[in-house]
Order: sequence, then C-alpha cells, then structure tokens
Amino acid sequence: MNINNYPEIKSKGKLLKKIYVAVMLWIVGRAIQAAYRVDKEVKEEFDGLSDDFMLYLNVLPSGPGMIVGKDKNGKAKYMGWNPSGKKITLDMKIKNIEAAILMFTFQESTCLATANNRLAISGAVPDSMAFIRILNIVEVYLLPKIITSLAVKRYPKWSQMNPFRKHFGRILVYVRTFTF
Amino acid sequence: MQIPGYYEFCNNVRIVSGHKALEKIPEMLVSVGCIRPMIITDKGVMGAGLVEPVEKALGSKIKAAGIYDDVPPDSDVKTVKDIALKYRSLKCDSIIAVGGGSVLDTAKGVNILVSENSDNLMDFVGFGALKRKLKPLIAIPTTSGTGSEMTLVAVIADHEKDVKMLFPSLFLLPDFAVLDSRMTKTLPDFFTAATGMDAMTHACEAYTCLAKNPLSDTTALSAIRLVSENIIQAVKKPGDMKARLALANASALAGMSFSNSMVGMVHAIGHSIGAICHVPHGVCMSILLPYGLEYNLHKTAHLTAELLFPLKGEDVYNSTSLRDRPRAAIEAIRELNRDLRKATGGKHATCLKEVLNKDGANMVQIEAFPDIARLALNDGAMAYNPEDLDYNDMIMVLESAWEGVPFDLKRIKKGKVTSKIKIS
Repeated sequence: MNINNYPEIKSKGKLLKKIYVAVMLWIVGRAIQAAYRVDKEVKEEFDGLSDDFMLYLNVLPSGPGMIVGKDKNGKAKYMGWNPSGKKITLDMKIKNIEAAILMFTFQESTCLATANNRLAISGAVPDSMAFIRILNIVEVYLLPKIITSLAVKRYPKWSQMNPFRKHFGRILVYVRTFTF
Repeated sequence: MQIPGYYEFCNNVRIVSGHKALEKIPEMLVSVGCIRPMIITDKGVMGAGLVEPVEKALGSKIKAAGIYDDVPPDSDVKTVKDIALKYRSLKCDSIIAVGGGSVLDTAKGVNILVSENSDNLMDFVGFGALKRKLKPLIAIPTTSGTGSEMTLVAVIADHEKDVKMLFPSLFLLPDFAVLDSRMTKTLPDFFTAATGMDAMTHACEAYTCLAKNPLSDTTALSAIRLVSENIIQAVKKPGDMKARLALANASALAGMSFSNSMVGMVHAIGHSIGAICHVPHGVCMSILLPYGLEYNLHKTAHLTAELLFPLKGEDVYNSTSLRDRPRAAIEAIRELNRDLRKATGGKHATCLKEVLNKDGANMVQIEAFPDIARLALNDGAMAYNPEDLDYNDMIMVLESAWEGVPFDLKRIKKGKVTSKIKIS
C-alpha cells in the first residue's frame, strides 16, 4: 500500500471563519508581545516561564495558528504562524474551527474551552496556567469590559488593576500591537 | 441538571468488587496474555501483610516476577526510574500495583517508562504526550480515597524542583481495578478518615467545577452518599467489611467522576501544601473542601445545595429551604470532619494548625504560605475552578484554613455571579 495514494484530507470550507480566527490570532500574538513591554504583571508572568518557552496555539486540523515564545533575550515575541524549525514547548490545540470561533468571539473563556474538551494542551502544566493568566490580562487590555467579562472568570477589580493602568496600558498595547 | 454543549467521558477500567475479589487476578492476567507481573507496593503495605493475599491469589500457575516494595509516601521521578530498571531486568510483562495513591501513581509512571522504552518521565508531562496503549496494569487500592485505580492521571513529584507533575492520558487508566474489602481492613482510623474525605472531595469538586457532566454528576453523588453513610462506621469499627467495601466503591466512583470532570481549587492548594509541607493529601483535602465550596458559592451555590441530599439524606434536604441548602451542605462537611476528629481521638485534623508531625510540631508553617500560594496558582486544577484566584486570594484561603474559621464571604473578589441561589 502506498501511503501517498491516500493524501491527508484537509477541510476546505469556512474560509471566512478561518480568516477571522487567523486575524484574531495575529492580534493576540502581537498584543502579548506588546503587553510584555507595557504591563509589569504580564512581564513577571512571562519571565517566570521556562527559558525555552515557545507556545504554538493552533486550530485543528489545518490551522490557522500563532507562535509566541521567548527570544534570545528572554523577552516575549510573536513568531508568526509556522512552527517548522521551532522547538515548541507548549502546544495548545483548539479541536476545530467552530471551537476557535467560540473562543475568539469571546463566548467561551480559555478555561471553559479546556473544561469542555475543546482545547487540548501538551506541555508543562505550570507554563499553560501562566499563559492563561497572561491571555486574560491581554484580553482586558484589548477588549471592553462587557466583552472581556465573557472571556475571563473574573474581570479585575480596581484593587487589581486601577483605571489609569488599564486605560493608559490599553493605548500602549494597541499602539505597540499595530506598529512595527 | 446542567448539560454541557460538549463533553467527553471515558472509563474503560474493568472493576471487580467484593469481599474476595483478589481471586479474579489470575483470570485477568490470562485475559491480557501476561504471566510475569511485577508487584509494586510500599513498606507499609508489605508490613501490613497485604501483598501476601495477592501472591496467594495468583495461584500456582502465575508467579510474580518481582516485587518492589520501597515506594515512598510521595511518588517521585527517581523511584519511578529505579522501578522501571528493575522491571526491565526481570523481564516482567505487566504490573500489579498494591497500595494507596502514591503506589498507584508510581505504577502508572513506571508503566509509561517501560511501555515507551524511555528513561525520562518528563518527556510525557501534560495532556496528549502519550500516543498508544501501555502495558497491562492491575490496580489494587489499599486505601479508600485516591481513586487512582479509576483515573487517567498520575501525580508524580519532582523533589529537586519541589513540584508535583501531572501526567494525564486516557492510556493511564488501569486495565483492571480490584476492590477487595480485605485490603483496607487494617487501615488505621486516621488514614481511613483522611482518605475517605479525599474521595468526598473528589466527588464534591467533580460536581461543582467547570467540567462537570451528567455522567460524572451521577457517580459523584453516589460516591458522596456512600462516604457520608459509611465513613464513621469504618473508622469506629475497622472490621466492618460492608463499610470497608462501601468506602472502596465510593473511592472508585469518585475517581471515575473526577477523572472525567477534573477538580478545582481544593486540589490545587492541597497539591501545593503536599509538595511543600509534605502533608498527606487526604488531610489537606478534608480541611480545604469546605473552603473551596464556600469560595465558589456565588457561582455554584445551586450545585452545592444539591450536595445536601447525599450528605444528610432526604429528610434534612426536604426540611431545609433552598436558600439554606448550600450553607447546610458545607456545614455538613465541617460536622463530618468534627465527628471524624472525635472518632479518631483527635488524630483527624479539621484545620491546618491541627496538622502535626510525629514530634507534635506543626507540619504547615505560616511562613510557607507565599510559596504554597505561588505553586497553587500554577496547578492545572485551577483551570477547572469556577472562580478565579490570585495570589492574595490563595493567602486568604490558607489563613482561614489555618485557623479553621469559615470565610467572610464579603472578602471574596467575585466575578460574574452565576449561581441561581443568592447567597448573602
């Protein structure tokens, strides 16, 4: 039997959804890199990750995806979508594009996606927990409260994130996300 | 009943439960084509003479190819590697794990190494790392609490880093679980109490945390009922074989439940106290369970309320108003802890400051709270807890659990209130 006679079947439909998720992944990846340079808490969380930390968040079966990792100076860096040649230490697979839509339209938090078996995580558990906390903070910066409240378990109180930090940080995160 | 939009439930462990269940082991081994099992156990189990009936049950045709009886109380990476070496040198073909959670988890770790022909357990940390079926594993629990005989997870410590690593995979489910009342008959009263409350915690968290589903709910409620009806009897009359078998079944049911719905903050904090202060897992669970339920009340009071039925029975449930049921359920657990403390002559701890070592010194030091809190934040169980916790929340939980006083609910930073029962 020649395996080449049986090519892998890739889903073709749902192009618009794939494009939407790809754009969202790009924004989130860039925003993590930006938030690292803006927010002390994100920086502390990221610095606490393994030295060779490299996350690949991707949608099964055929993408899109995004890679965020530590650069040679240990800083957070968005590294595109292609994992080839990169040593992935934390692989987060969203099981299908519909599950990704639920997550990236903020109908379902990362934790709920995990609980509902929509997200499979391979790699060190402490790193994945820290990354979820980073993602939550980035979502607070990127989105208005009414939407973020759907995506996180608990929207930060004043005592955790004062309005100055939130609004000033939001401007900086947006500027850094969309400028090169 | 809450039906998730999507869920998965898997448990293909063949369970044999009875007062003479061990006698089925030869048949189990033959069914999977094995004749050279390795017995993995610990000194306590060996000393209690619990391996003898297992060897006797193997009969004349099958002999254990080797016995490793030096598993430490906290299963660790080094022990797993040592046993895997022995397994290979003795050319074993299967594993019989006889013991508590540590032994069963160690056996799962050994099974990973010998099946994957590897020396590095860390290559298999996290979800999805194992890709194929492992060697046959028969789990014979000698405590009624961990539920490890029914779970797809192994928790193994790395003492060099002072962390407990999680190995979750469907391939880690044992092939067989043997629940034999003889295996827990000699369990001391305070171990019976702590491990029984461990099973209770598995069931309560499975029922109230994010990944709950109708199947895990059913097994969780049955487990809670079996524990609450039998634990005091088993502590007071260790020779009551019916109570022993009921607790063994409760543990298995709770294991089946939380293996498919996971657990929450009680386990996250408990794992960390265990890793840093070396407090037995069941002790941490019995102390922390009421706090976990209390902390999440604004999200899960309607679920906690339902726990009152299996905890206290139909009459109490019906005579308690809907609004009072969540607190009554939590109080029932605290009351059970107090009863167990009385029944064990003060050996069962109800708060962290009562946890003492052999010399009478506190095992949990207040100075360790920051380290415990930081470690707990990175525990995988936190993902499944209904409410979020930050470092300060962790410290608050630890301080309350140290003193043994209920939470002031006003101090809890609440996310969106989702409970159908309003708690003031």
